Order: sequence, then structure tokens, then C-alpha cells
Amino acid sequence: MESRERLSKILLFVFFSLLSLLVLLPFYAIAIASFKPGKELIRYGLNLQLDFSIMSLDNYVFLFSGQHDYFTWFTNSMLLTILQVALTLITSAAVAYGFTAYDFKGKTPLFICVLMIMMVPFEILLLPLYRLIFNLGLMNTYSSIILPGIASASTIFFFRQYLLGVPREMIAAGRVDGASEYGIFLRLILPVMKPAFAAMGILNAMGSWNNLLWPFMVLSNSSKFTLPIGLKTLLTPYGNNYDLLIVGSFFSIIPIFILFVMFQRYFIDGMTAGAVKG
Amino acid sequence: MKKWLMGLLMVSMAAVLFGCSSGTSSTGEVSVLDDGAGEEAVKLKYWTFVELHGQHFQSMLKNWNEDHPDRQIKLEVTVMPYDDMHNKLSIALQTGQGAPDISDIEVGKFPDFLNGTPQLEPLNDVVEPYKESIVQSRLDLYTKDGTIYGLPTHVGAAVAFYNTEILEEAGVDYKSIVTWEDYKKAGMAVYEKTGKYMGTADTSAGWQLSMMLAQQGSDFTDAEGKPVVNSPEMIKGLDILKDLQKNNVLATIAGGQPDTEEAYGEFNTGNYASAMMPFWFMSRYVNYMPDLQGKIAIAPIPVIEQGMPPSYGGGGTGTVVTKQTKEAQLAKDFLAYAKLTLDANINIWNTLGFDPVNTELWTQEDITHNKDNKFVQYFQNNPFEVLNEIKDGISLIKSTPASPTINNELYTTTLNEIFENDRDVTEALNAAQSQIEQQLK
Amino acid sequence: MVKRFLYSQKAAPYVFVLPFVLVFLVFWLYPLASSVEMSFQKVMLGQSAQWVGFDNYAKLIDDSMFLKAVMNSVIYTVLTLVILIPLPMLFAVLINAKFMWGRELFKSVFFFPALTSVVVAGTIFRLMFGEMEGSLINSFLALFGVEPVKFLKGHVTGFIALLSLAVWRWMGVNILYFLAGLKNIPEDYYEAASIDGASTFQKFRHITIPLLKPTTIYVLTISIYAGMAMFVESLMLWNGNNSPQNIGLTIIGYLYRQGIEKNNLGFAATVGLVLLLVTMIINLTQLALSGLFRKES
Repeated sequence: MESRERLSKILLFVFFSLLSLLVLLPFYAIAIASFKPGKELIRYGLNLQLDFSIMSLDNYVFLFSGQHDYFTWFTNSMLLTILQVALTLITSAAVAYGFTAYDFKGKTPLFICVLMIMMVPFEILLLPLYRLIFNLGLMNTYSSIILPGIASASTIFFFRQYLLGVPREMIAAGRVDGASEYGIFLRLILPVMKPAFAAMGILNAMGSWNNLLWPFMVLSNSSKFTLPIGLKTLLTPYGNNYDLLIVGSFFSIIPIFILFVMFQRYFIDGMTAGAVKG
Repeated sequence: MKKWLMGLLMVSMAAVLFGCSSGTSSTGEVSVLDDGAGEEAVKLKYWTFVELHGQHFQSMLKNWNEDHPDRQIKLEVTVMPYDDMHNKLSIALQTGQGAPDISDIEVGKFPDFLNGTPQLEPLNDVVEPYKESIVQSRLDLYTKDGTIYGLPTHVGAAVAFYNTEILEEAGVDYKSIVTWEDYKKAGMAVYEKTGKYMGTADTSAGWQLSMMLAQQGSDFTDAEGKPVVNSPEMIKGLDILKDLQKNNVLATIAGGQPDTEEAYGEFNTGNYASAMMPFWFMSRYVNYMPDLQGKIAIAPIPVIEQGMPPSYGGGGTGTVVTKQTKEAQLAKDFLAYAKLTLDANINIWNTLGFDPVNTELWTQEDITHNKDNKFVQYFQNNPFEVLNEIKDGISLIKSTPASPTINNELYTTTLNEIFENDRDVTEALNAAQSQIEQQLK
Repeated sequence: MVKRFLYSQKAAPYVFVLPFVLVFLVFWLYPLASSVEMSFQKVMLGQSAQWVGFDNYAKLIDDSMFLKAVMNSVIYTVLTLVILIPLPMLFAVLINAKFMWGRELFKSVFFFPALTSVVVAGTIFRLMFGEMEGSLINSFLALFGVEPVKFLKGHVTGFIALLSLAVWRWMGVNILYFLAGLKNIPEDYYEAASIDGASTFQKFRHITIPLLKPTTIYVLTISIYAGMAMFVESLMLWNGNNSPQNIGLTIIGYLYRQGIEKNNLGFAATVGLVLLLVTMIINLTQLALSGLFRKES
């Protein structure tokens, strides 16, 4: 029994190690490619050859000192992500609080609306939304990206589940102390929501940082582009952009990796938040 | 907690609602070309899908600002992928909102922008001074009812590029190739001796089809602009290409046609001995295929029968001034300056390696044969000698409102079926014709 | 007075949910309604719309390209379900086994790909599945004497590339879902079964699978949602919305082509509504099934 268990232990470990290598392979490939001239990549394809005679830091030098918009896009992405996440979290938290702490007329139908939104793929509304944004004169603005998602259904849903676990006595105690309805939310409820904020913050940040389709449709100036859009614009045969594309792609993964390593638990909580709702 | 949160909320709200929607808070100074421009310079927005075009404008901008101290310009260049740029421009023009002052439009997409009342500035007045020396057919591409809306960048005369290293290995002299029959014999010898292919069978572009049609005096559309992609001339042309593929003379290439980054790699490695492409493909050799330096010779394209016009003007970009610009006259004057003047054409040749539309330049040997020019240095023979040789045999393949639909069907579906899946040529073309007709309904 | 009212317990909930109501009305209900309206019109941005009755719907039924897009989306969805449910479930159970080394490390590694944007991941996979001899997959196949494959030009091979991308990005996430589900299964169930002499497989078959059902249903739902709405993956893998013979064209891709590339908003809205209908039907079936499950237990 003892030896059989040890054997399965080793076998499992070997199996998952191999699987991990497979998962890491694309990262390894692009990491190597980021040290090679873009022309090599075009000529021989993306591969794992370590050829030190052609590998250099040139691409990184170009990334940090070359004439290009990369860091404009990077900054835009950062700003947009922070702005979008902060606004979405606060708005969604308020809405979720409204749904949990009170009984009011129209609560149930409204909450059904929340559930409904979660079921409709956003892509279906791309065109009418696009026309609406156009008619509102919001094209090429960040508002057109932030506003439609500001009360995010899945975030509201998660916050509501979380708040259901917060004792109602807390609210009652607040009222006894003479706090206003909004004071209770801001001073008593928000502080206890920290873990939920972390999970949803990370989930929303991932979505926002990587979002392509909608921002791409509404933004049209290089100076406003986010990182995914900017990287996409490098994918054209009419420019020698592979040097920047590969190193830029690789570099764009790094910040989110660092965040992941630092806040791993919250990432996992955020991702699985929906699955455990039961 | 509260103060901190409220502060953040207020700041972000303010930023969203006012800062960003005002549309003036541009942080992207990086792409603004302001060579020699002073404080008073007018800012113009320019969209393109070719990064190099921006570089050409940059050098012209410097001269302009020196020559016109009272009309200085700053240019904000946005480079977007081909499809995306045209989509965005089309929407911006139709909606009257968000278009740049100046934009490139590729010739295949140009008809879309001439529908109805074109939302583009007429350019006849700024073209007038140069009319004599500009290749008329290139202006015709961007003209509707006598009004010129776009200025060409190049002629795009299609020529053949031969890799003489491979040909010599197979004992073939490219100078002896006159007809496609000669090309086939040479190609079979190449395959037999070296195992390499003579040329490409293109699936995602129509350079070869256009050559075949031009040589037979035909086109993708009839006189009324109706699509006729299953015409006898088309079938004949594709039969010739298919026959070449069957005999291992042609083979499909990674990327689907020579003008893709994958194909540059294939050529550079020496897997294909020739490319039949418009003149501007020279710049791709120089920029992307460094290993072939000194090995490439330029020649007229083989013809179906002797005496047929060998070439046509392929590809092209019309640069336009949109109706949404507030500085129409300035933009137009600058555009003519940057694309039609002799200086501009010299710069187009020197930096981009295109065959300039101003033919005055074609015979100025100090420029066309300049030993310091990287394009002259790269190729075995002088490009302009070939150009002057075929000068009177460069036909026009029309761009019509049906062209975008035709192109889409042929270059995503039909050619793939023929060259990748071995579908019968006539059958595939008939299917394409009916699909195109259905879509144009 | 107004301030007093706004601060009352009666008004407060409405103030709290107001942002949602606004967003719902402006950015969901209105677009949805205008989608329905547009589907009966010929609409181009910047021009006034014309009523065309059921023309768009009639055109859609006849449209072989739309059919192709639907088929592609459905096949993609089904294949992702077939791969991305059983495998992650199995892996989660294995990772969860008590004699597992390096559990946390593997969990993180499998999750890594989900952190990359589709733009980056799609580009990497496009290059990996390049048709040149030297491209990663082809150079790997060459070790077994296989000739270079033109992955992105064939129906089957194109789907292999597309699915590899999906599996790479979502395997780790689905494993996490199942791990979270496994946490909710009480340990005593397994102990009791062991006492009864149940084998490992029997325990998996009769305890793990049934008790993971809520998780499975959740994963199934989001996978269907993501599969039917897939577009950007294809866009990046083929570096554009025009793949050879449209092998990568999806429903949303077709909506984008008609609406954005051809500025044919009315027809594109019709495409969107058909997709909405399909997802709604699938979702309701889902809900009915999971509801049924609750009654059983």
C-alpha cells in the first residue's frame, strides 16, 4: 500500500510537470523571440532555438528608448483600468447594498434584470450600442468604454452574495448610532467588503486590461489607444513592427504576472466566485 | 476611508465626464511630426495603414515648413491595420464625425468612398500645375465624373523579380523568358535541378490574375462595372496558372501571396525563384529580404502571346483630404506638395523605392542611377531601365464599386479552392460569380 | 426637504440602485429595443433608416455565409465543451488527491495563460501554428517525420489551432472552478464509501461526479456563452476577419463584418438577435435542468 501510493505520487507529479511544461511553452517561445530580431521570426517562424549569435537586448533597448507609442498605450491602459475598476466597484457595491439591505417595491423584477444581463452576450449589443455612443457624441472618449459597464451585473451579483453574509444587526446598530443610510454604507459596510473588493477588483482589472473589441470600435486615435489595440495595430505587413510587437506583447504580460504572484489568493477567489454560488 | 473614497470617486467622475470627453486631452505626442514647426503651426491629422508613408510625409513636412514659414504644419500620424483603418474612415466619413484631415485610401477600397456624394475635397486645382508630367491612368483611379479626389503615390507597374542564384544553378537565363510557355520550361528545369519552385500561386491577392487579364485586354468587371469573374479571359489566365502549379513551377506560399511577412521569409530563404509583383515590391526586398542583396534581377513579366502589353499598374494608395477638415486649402496644398512635386517624387523613390507618378523623373539619370541609392545598390540591373522598357505596356485594371466585393470573394475563397483544394477552375469561378452577384443584390 | 427625503429609509434603496437602473435602461434595454427596430430597417450610420419589413430576416435565411458562421460557432462551442469539461474535472480531482505534490504551484501554472490578453495569446498561437518548417508546431511534427502542415488554411487544422488556443487559455480556469466545487464535497462521504469497500473509480463515478453537478452546470453555461460569442480569438489567429474560405468566421465575426465593415447595421442587428434567441433558449434549458436537479436532491 505504502509503495503503491508512493508510485502514484511520483507518476502524478511527473504527469503534471509535463503538462505544466506544455502550458509554459508559449511563454517560453515568446520570451526567446523577444531577444531575437523580428526579421528572424518572420524568416524562420516562432521556435525554441537558442541561437546566441543573433540574440540581443536590442528589442528591449528599442522598447524603452525608441520612437513609438508603446508607453502612451501602456499609460492609457493603466489609467483606464484603474478608473474603470474603481468606478465599477463603487457603483456596483452601492447597487448590491441596495438590493441586500432593503426591501422595496420592484426589487425582485429589478434583480431579475441583473440576472438577465448576465445571460446576454454583450457582443449582441455591439452595434446598437455603437450607434448610441455615436449619437451621444462619445466616440473616441474613455466614457464610451467606462459607462456601459459601470454597474456590472456579475460584480453586483457577487457583492450581493457576499453582503447576504453580513449580519443585518450591523446596519441596525448604525442607525441607532444616528448614522445616515449613506453613512452606514460608506463607514460600516464598505470596510467589511474589502475581501470582496479585492476579488472583484482583480477580476474586473483583468477584463479591462485585456479588453479589445469594444474599445477598439470606439477609439480611433493612436494617442488614445490602449495596449491591446496598440499591439493589434502593429500587426500589419506594411510596417516593420515585429521587433516591437513581440517584446511589447511579452512586456505587457509582466505587470499582471507580478500582481498575480502578489495577490494570488484574490485572483483565485475572484475567478471562482461565480462557481461556488451553488 | 470615506474621504479617500469620495475623493477618488469625484476625481474619476470628473475625469470621465469632462476630461476625456472633451477630446482635446491628447497625451500621444510621440507620433506628432513637428519638424521645424513653430508655435503657430496648424495641426493636421493623418491616417495611414503604411508606416513608411508617414516617414515620407515627415521628410516632406520638414521642407514644407522651411519653404512656408507662415503656413507651418504639425502632422499627427495614426497607423492602423489595413482593414481597420478603412472601416473607421468609412464610418467617420458617413457619419460626419471623427475623420482625420488627410488620409490614405487603398485603391481596392477607394470606390467605397466615391459612393453617392464623396465626402472628400476635390483636388483638381492643386493637381493642375503637375498634370503634364503625372501618369494620367493613376489619377483616373481616384477620379469620379472628372473630379479628382485622391493623389497617387506610385505607378505600381508590375514586373518580374528573378533570383538569379537559383536560376543559374538550374542553368536558366531569365533574359530568355518572354512568354509564360518559356517561364514554364524554365520553371520545370528549376524544380528538376534544385527542387525549388519557380514562383508563387497566390491565394490571397490578385496580382497574377490582374496581369493575366491586363495582357488579354480584359478586366474583373465589364464596361458597365458589372462583375464578370467567370469570363473566358479569366478562365484562360487561371488555367495557365493552374497548369504551372501542376507542373511544380508554382506553389502556394506561406501567407498566401508574396506581400506578406511570412512570404518575405520564404523568399529570403531562397525557396522561390521569382515573384511577379508591382514595382513597389522592390522596397520589400530591400527592407525585409537582406540575404538576397545582389541576387535579384528585374525583368518584364512573361506574356501569354508576344506583343501583348506585359504590365499593369498594381496596388496603390490615393491620399485624400476629407470634407471634415477645417483647413482644406492648407491640407490640399501640402498634399500636392508632398506627393506631386518633383522633389516629392524624388523622395518617394529615394525613401520608399516606388515608381514615382511624375515621369519627368524616370529619365533623370543622376537620380535613377544614383550609386548611393539603396534600391539601385540592391538589384543587379537598374529598375528604371525595365520601367522605361515597358512604359507603353502598362494597362489599367479598373477599380469599381463592385471591386471590394469581388476582391473579398476571390481572395478569401475562390483562389484558395483552386490552388489549395484543387477545385476545377471554371466551376470555382462560376460559384464565385453567383456568390458575388448575390452579395451585390 | 429634498435632502430629508433623499436621506429617508424609503428613498435610500432607490438611490442605491439608481446607477443600475440607468445603465440598464440606457445601455441595455434601449440598445436591445433599437436592435429589434433596426432588424426591420435598412440602416447605415449617418443616414436615416428605411423600413424594410422582414427583408433582413428573409435575406438571413438565404445566406450561406451566415449558415457557415453559425456552423463554425456551434462546432467550436461543442468541441470546447467536449474538451474543457471532462479534462479539467479529472485534473482537478487528481490535483486535489491527498498524495499530490506541488498542488499550489500547478494550480498557478495552469492559471497563467488566462492572464494574457487574446491579442497576445492569439499572436503567439498564430506564429506557433505558422505553416513554415521552422514554426514551433511544424518543427515539432518534423521530429516524427511529418511534412509541414498549413494549419491556418484548412478547416480541420484551423480548428485544431483555434481549440488549442481555447484549451490553453481556459483549462486552468476550469480546473479552479472544479477545485472550488470539490471543496464543497464533505470528506465523510468518501470515508463512508471506503468503509463499504468502494474503489477509487466507483467513488469518482458515484460521489464526485454527481456532487460536482452544480459546478459542471455553471462551467457548461459560461462555456456555451463564451463559445457562441467567440470572435476575437479568430480575429487574432487569422490576423483579420477574413480567413481562407471563411474557416474562422463566427456569428459575431459575421455581425462585425456586416455592421462595421459593410456598415449594414440593420442586417447585422438581425444576426445579433438570432444569436440572442439561440443563447436564450440554451440558457433556459440550462436553468430548467439545474432546477430539476435541485428538486431531486
